[in-house]
Amino acid sequence: MNRRTFWWFTIPSVIVMLALMVFPLITTVWLGFQKLLLRDLNNPEWVGWDNYRDVLSDPEFWAAVQFTLVFVVVTVPASMIFGLAVALLLDRIGRGRAIYMAALLLPFIVTPVVGTLIYEDLFERGGLVSWLWEVFTDDAFAVSASNVKVLIVVQYIWYVMPFAMITFFAGLQTLPEERVEAAALDGAGFWRNLWHVTLPHLRLLVVFVGLISVMDAYRVYDSVFVWTGNRFTEAHTLAVYNVRIATAFDIGRLGKGNAIAVLTVIGIFVVLIPFLWRSYRDQIAERT
Amino acid sequence: MKLSRPSIRPSRIALHAVMILLVVWSVTPFVWTAQTSIKFTRDVASKTPVLWGYETTANAYRNFWLDSDDVNMWGVLAFVLVVAAIAAALGLIGRRARHGWPWFLGATAVICVALWRFPRFWEANDEYDFLVNSVVVTLLTMLISLSIGLLAGYGLARYTGISGAVILIVALGFRALPRTAFVLPYFFGAKEIDEWLTSTGVGSWNFPLIDFPGIDTLQVLDTRLAIVLALVAVNQPFTIWMLRSFFIEVPKEMEEAAMMDGATRLQAFRKVIIPIMWPAIIATGLFTMLLAYNEYLFVRVLAPTEWTLPVAIVSLTGGESSRTITEAAAASVSITLPIVIVIILFQKHLVRGLGAGAVKG
Repeated sequence: MNRRTFWWFTIPSVIVMLALMVFPLITTVWLGFQKLLLRDLNNPEWVGWDNYRDVLSDPEFWAAVQFTLVFVVVTVPASMIFGLAVALLLDRIGRGRAIYMAALLLPFIVTPVVGTLIYEDLFERGGLVSWLWEVFTDDAFAVSASNVKVLIVVQYIWYVMPFAMITFFAGLQTLPEERVEAAALDGAGFWRNLWHVTLPHLRLLVVFVGLISVMDAYRVYDSVFVWTGNRFTEAHTLAVYNVRIATAFDIGRLGKGNAIAVLTVIGIFVVLIPFLWRSYRDQIAERT
Repeated sequence: MKLSRPSIRPSRIALHAVMILLVVWSVTPFVWTAQTSIKFTRDVASKTPVLWGYETTANAYRNFWLDSDDVNMWGVLAFVLVVAAIAAALGLIGRRARHGWPWFLGATAVICVALWRFPRFWEANDEYDFLVNSVVVTLLTMLISLSIGLLAGYGLARYTGISGAVILIVALGFRALPRTAFVLPYFFGAKEIDEWLTSTGVGSWNFPLIDFPGIDTLQVLDTRLAIVLALVAVNQPFTIWMLRSFFIEVPKEMEEAAMMDGATRLQAFRKVIIPIMWPAIIATGLFTMLLAYNEYLFVRVLAPTEWTLPVAIVSLTGGESSRTITEAAAASVSITLPIVIVIILFQKHLVRGLGAGAVKG
């Protein structure tokens, strides 16, 4: 395909990305240097680094950073290990696999805010878990500031595990039988088989799922917002904190909100740049 | 043969027992909510949950969807079932037929007509408008996203220059960005455009040929268009990567043969490549659909009144509303049902889609 044809094919998509992704990002950076309130959008005023100073000295920002990091560090490995285990089990199921798969996929496919709402319902007064808790401990269970972070993490693992499961399952389908049989003949047990045959085969997938999971967990909004709302602001992740600052009724500080957004973007790119660089090199290598 | 794979051989019963436990872990909230949605409020409020033997009622659904209190819900259910059956039948024929798209188009048309006629049979609540918004936003996002994504995905799969690599990597970087980096400038930009439209008077122009029902002034903020544009944009990186990975699988010789016979590149693309790409288009379309249908943040910020269903449901459960827990449950079930149907119909495509995006990384 020559260059001209390529551009004819690609230009609509490139225009969309330029107009609705590159340009807004530049606007974000610009707005980050403005003093701009939600109730008075017409008078942006250049304040230099003030918004950044304001953010970096805000203890709520550091609390959000801390919880976001904990959230990523806990949910990503947990959902990946859990997902791999379920994928290995699914791989051994003969009959009925489609039904199990549909049921297991459901939490991942359902609207995240709805999934969170119905999960939360189990823990509210009159809910199933709340009732079981009372039966066993004689104490009423209530969602509170002290346990909401744990619940957020558990519910997120519930939500995101099927992604790792399905991807690893797809990878397992391409594992050559001979390799497994050879290992079995050599007397490899389950763990050695997993470590020396299955995992090396899934190596690229593990990287892929890991990266996607880190991106998604880092920017999580929907489920944390539903769990916390304005009740438990100390359990806000970066994205929720960001939107709260920018759009809080009547005192939304859009300038500060954009400064937070810029810092969030820088945060994910620190992790991502080496990977992007490597993909770029791969792409170039593919072309020569 | 799968005989040798399990080195530890758990008996089949144990395996299925574990799987059933896992299913319980993942579907309990859904079952619980479905139960709540058909209970009377007194059973929901009781301290020990009533797990079985309760009286059922469709009150919650009636309150959520309909205006009037004395509608026979069996009639509504029958209407919904008939529409679903017709759409499903058309869809099934479409899957078997050689050219599926007329049948799928027919199924879509049936659903659209049913949605349009529904409020004339029964007085519907505001929530009904949010459902319509959801459907419109989802369909438009899918249509636009796929059209431009298919072209770009094909171009990127076939072109070997450096600019292709740059576009792909930049798109991959965008895939990582949080929504928050976009939603604020979108909001600000839409506001600016609206002010420009008002100040120049363009916003109140009459377009004699195009009559937008229910819209007197042209604006961006708080319209379905704003949501669709935002969703198309953030979905574009994913769409082009996924479609590109499918296009790479198609051998170049396919369109080269057609072009030898005198077809242009675009003709070859339309007549030769697209017809064999349907599984890929369905898989990508499914993910785009889920993304649009499930979106919360963009809708909440960009459309303060033109909600879609997720925003409507969250606002239901917030403190400002006096509606009951059963109604929220009915709403949750209503919004989840279409997704369940989609999983059942398209599970293979979904799984293949996730796998395809993954295998090539």
